[in-house]
Amino acid sequence: MHDQWAELINSKASGANATVHKAEVGDSSITVEAGKLKEACQALYDGGFNVLQVITGTDYLEENPRIEVSYILADFTNNHELILKVKLPRENPEVDSVVSIWKAANFLERETFDMVGVRFKDHPDHRRILCPQDWEGFPLRKDYEAAKEYNGMEVYPEDKLNLDDQVFGTKTAATAVSNKAPMTNGRY
Amino acid sequence: MQDGVLLTKVDDFLNWGRKNSLWPMTFGLACCAIEMMATGASKYDLERFGCGAFMATPRRADLMIVAGTVTLKMASRIKLLYDQMPEPKYVISMGSCANKGGPYWQHGYHVLKGVDEIVPVDVYVPGCPPRPEALIEGLMTLQKKIANERLLRDKWVKHA
Repeated sequence: MHDQWAELINSKASGANATVHKAEVGDSSITVEAGKLKEACQALYDGGFNVLQVITGTDYLEENPRIEVSYILADFTNNHELILKVKLPRENPEVDSVVSIWKAANFLERETFDMVGVRFKDHPDHRRILCPQDWEGFPLRKDYEAAKEYNGMEVYPEDKLNLDDQVFGTKTAATAVSNKAPMTNGRY
Repeated sequence: MQDGVLLTKVDDFLNWGRKNSLWPMTFGLACCAIEMMATGASKYDLERFGCGAFMATPRRADLMIVAGTVTLKMASRIKLLYDQMPEPKYVISMGSCANKGGPYWQHGYHVLKGVDEIVPVDVYVPGCPPRPEALIEGLMTLQKKIANERLLRDKWVKHA
């Protein structure tokens, strides 16, 4: 089925260069050129994929650094499911929005922007959706470092740290006593 | 004067009234809120303790049960709700997340490590999530705490 869909994309959207990745285990996918994503999606929509289930981004940091955006499409009439992928550079990733094809893309694209920082061109409401609007960084990037402080609130308070509990079997009576902080810490 | 006379202390009388009419705020953040709802429902029946009238506004509530994960985004809202509650007000921190960040301790870049960072907590209820019995135990602990209050002592400048 994937070859057939790739053929459909290539015939409708010239230059999309749809290539099939056949997985021996798990789900196969089709990768298209980022610039031709919207045409490819329109072709698939016209070809019966009327439901967009998920948009998600994946950050690959180590070899061949890139961000992949995956679109999971479904055709409920014929009971088909298809994973469509685009590969984007890690610096300033940008791709066309597909909100004009599937309305469901609105929140999903906002989430992808919020978590991995992919920008969607012509998105009607391009804001963060989960993190606060003044949040810095994109949490699902592999090189993300958590902020020390947000709005005056300490994210990892030193006086609450108790590493003994995280490493099982290393706790001795002596360390247990030394790490015992008073419950209120003099806050009030 | 044989009946109709009751001798008590002002403190005891007011504390008795207060501890038996704690009105919590309708306010849940995560899965702990489901247990809180179960506690309020017929099987565990929080109303037995005078604590079943979940108020839909902080201005009528005495008790805030922080039931669930406190994210950094939610923290300022919780502070606002707490500030809107009239005195005397009490806070129960329900569940591991509200106590100390819970499972989000190490990688929870978005989670406040304990609601006591922003509001004063009276009773901590451990559990993930705590069973309704545990929440009732926490409520009874709070009632004992209220029963021992002294009206004109520095308790009432605690939140000032």
